[in-house]
Amino acid sequence: MTFDPKEDKAAEEALVRELQAGNMEVFDQLVERFQKKIYALSFNLTRNQMDAQDVTQDVFLTLFRKIHTFQGKSAFSSWVYRITLNAAYMKLRSRKKDKSVSIDELLPNFNKAGFQQEKVQDWSENTESLLFANETRGIIQKAVDQLPEKEKVVFLLRDVEGLSTEKVGEILELTIPAVKSRLHRARLFLRKKLSAFFDEYRSGEDKS
Amino acid sequence: MICCKECLDLLHDYLDNKLDKETHSSLEEHFQDCPPCVAFLNTYKSTTSICRESLGEIEMPDAVKSKLKEFLKSEEFKN
Repeated sequence: MTFDPKEDKAAEEALVRELQAGNMEVFDQLVERFQKKIYALSFNLTRNQMDAQDVTQDVFLTLFRKIHTFQGKSAFSSWVYRITLNAAYMKLRSRKKDKSVSIDELLPNFNKAGFQQEKVQDWSENTESLLFANETRGIIQKAVDQLPEKEKVVFLLRDVEGLSTEKVGEILELTIPAVKSRLHRARLFLRKKLSAFFDEYRSGEDKS
Repeated sequence: MICCKECLDLLHDYLDNKLDKETHSSLEEHFQDCPPCVAFLNTYKSTTSICRESLGEIEMPDAVKSKLKEFLKSEEFKN
């Protein structure tokens, strides 16, 4: 693993050039470089090991067959992410289940003067001890699964994978303001979902 | 003086340090007078951090890795 992003990018470009020149011997290096990222994103989108495995295989098959069509207009890794998203969406469509709910119901409420209308509990201090409870993990996964696709993908790439706003824009072909707005809406949605859970959790603790 | 709605709309850019100086300080002024917005800010930040901790640690199981290796050597892949 290289930690200098410039060096890393150069190594990636060299690898792609080799593959485009027909040297498929180095395909293993490509697998080594991307398999974890592809699998993690696929898993977070499908929430199922078998599906994530299928998606990962599909992505490498596409990369193997289409490597010569990569033109270098965006970073190679952005192209890999795009292929991964397409493959994951194909998988999801074949499953045909949509668990998402409307995001607007969960956005904050204000009165006419612009003050918050609901009681805002601060549960941010309690997350450390709660995080490792399996229940919490389950709640977080469920909440993310319920995000509408547009917001979910931005949230996964930006906040979970830790990519930059610019990179997410490149992958999804969105403007920076569009990425920011979707990310903000996703965070608001999840905050609300988690608030409901933590409030319930805390009131349960008070009773015991 | 900005209101809660404006304050919440600015959170994303506030955390990215992308606000101009003036907006940044009026936001901080608002926080001083508004505990609910401070609670909102804290939980907004925590949402990102706990989701990242919880979902960012997906490991590829060894079984999946070996399946992939097999697949890459298979006829289906090469043809």
